[in-house]
Amino acid sequence: MECRELTARVVDRLLGQADEPSLLALAEHLAGCAACAGEAEGIERAWEGLGSDPDARLTGAFRARSLQLIEEEMLRQRIRTFRPRGPLRSLLRYAAAVVIAAGLGYLVRGVSPEAPAAIAPEAVSAFPPPAGPALPDLAASPRLSNVTFTPPDGQGRIGIAYDTTARQTVLGRPEDPAVARLLGYIVSHNAETAGEKSRAIELVSNHYRAADAAASPDIVRALTATLRDDPNPGVRRKAADALAGFRTTIEIRAAFLEALRKDRNPGVRLAAVEALAAAAREGPPDTETIESLREKAFDPRENGFVRAKAASALKAIDL
Amino acid sequence: MVLTIAAGLTDDRALLDRIREGDTSGAAELFERYAPAILRFADRLLADRAVAEEVTQEVFLKLISRAHQYDGRAGVSSWLFAIAANACRDRRRRDRRAPVIPLDGLPDPPDRTEGAERGLLDRERKDAVRRALNALSEEQREALVLARYHGMPYSEVAQVLGISVGAVKTRIFRAVETLKSHFSEGERAWNAVN
Repeated sequence: MECRELTARVVDRLLGQADEPSLLALAEHLAGCAACAGEAEGIERAWEGLGSDPDARLTGAFRARSLQLIEEEMLRQRIRTFRPRGPLRSLLRYAAAVVIAAGLGYLVRGVSPEAPAAIAPEAVSAFPPPAGPALPDLAASPRLSNVTFTPPDGQGRIGIAYDTTARQTVLGRPEDPAVARLLGYIVSHNAETAGEKSRAIELVSNHYRAADAAASPDIVRALTATLRDDPNPGVRRKAADALAGFRTTIEIRAAFLEALRKDRNPGVRLAAVEALAAAAREGPPDTETIESLREKAFDPRENGFVRAKAASALKAIDL
Repeated sequence: MVLTIAAGLTDDRALLDRIREGDTSGAAELFERYAPAILRFADRLLADRAVAEEVTQEVFLKLISRAHQYDGRAGVSSWLFAIAANACRDRRRRDRRAPVIPLDGLPDPPDRTEGAERGLLDRERKDAVRRALNALSEEQREALVLARYHGMPYSEVAQVLGISVGAVKTRIFRAVETLKSHFSEGERAWNAVN
């Protein structure tokens, strides 16, 4: 060992990070080098001078304040923007569509007198057929891999791309039953990872929220099944958030009530409370919802946030 | 002080999972486990108990907001210390506080089981340690505090600070050289007065 290595060797020893040969070499060197022995003593004194340092004791006030901040931050992370769908808004939308359709019909009849006075309903498809390849036969449970989505185009058509034997891309409106079935299939059966499933749910959720359209029964079925059965709590939360954006139906309410009663994750239960409370505020109070919220508000075993949210939801509902 | 927290690695990750799932108890449990060590670490680096408390709270709020970014390469405790080291650096930059040690700053909570004389000696010892640490550069102080007081091996200090093991050793050895001079000067001054 060289004299210039002294500090490193002594510090290694003081930190308990020196190996046996290094310790022996240091001991031998110190025994034969008075200058280094003096230096080593100085280092050890300085080391001792730093003293022992137990962890800081937390004061009660600091602990309480910190835990409060932690609770608030956790709540902030869970906050989502809820946009209730007023029935009046939808009615106005439908009324506007009827007026526009009537106006267009009048114009068409005026321009071409040969046109039929009325168009047979069966002659009009509510949705143009999805563009791209034929939709896969979902009854055969095909494996669609590398699923990606593209945002809606000017006509509200989203793209769903996937690999089977080759890369396929389907373009269509999510309200189209065939496209809705495909989306529902991806959410409930096809997605292999929680991330893939979450992206599909997000797409469905964002689309219906932006389009303000009634969700397809296939989508609702897929999402309620996901909320009920998915093993990943993050995915269940996403499904709950998506369902909360839809107009509440009996099926959706039942799924939320079940989640509130049975889900093991407080974040999911919290989302269920919020959705049920919002639905109860919009329409006439539902007895089962009120009872479930009341049970949660008074259940001492329930998570504090869920209890508090259930209590404030009850206050806000006009009983 | 040797950290006993590394042993609970699996549990820590389970707690982090709970945070990701929106369960507050995960964050509260991690706070109970690590807040005392993080607070002491911040106090050593910033030499101000009140600011160290703020930084400690900041660390746990960041833990919640960044729980999804934890990649599992380091232990949760190392990750927390890395957040704390960055938070301390940010705080120093933000406050533009020169490395002045506020000796008249907020005292540590009094230990009522100790006598007044013992308390005074403790206070003097703590002040001496603060002065000694203040003689170091920020980089040296970070590395030394983690190794000396938090019992971290060089490799873990390297992970926390995001530097190589060689750089950690260099910083610690230089810190020790500085401390050696600091303490020997202190002794000379003490002997001259007496």
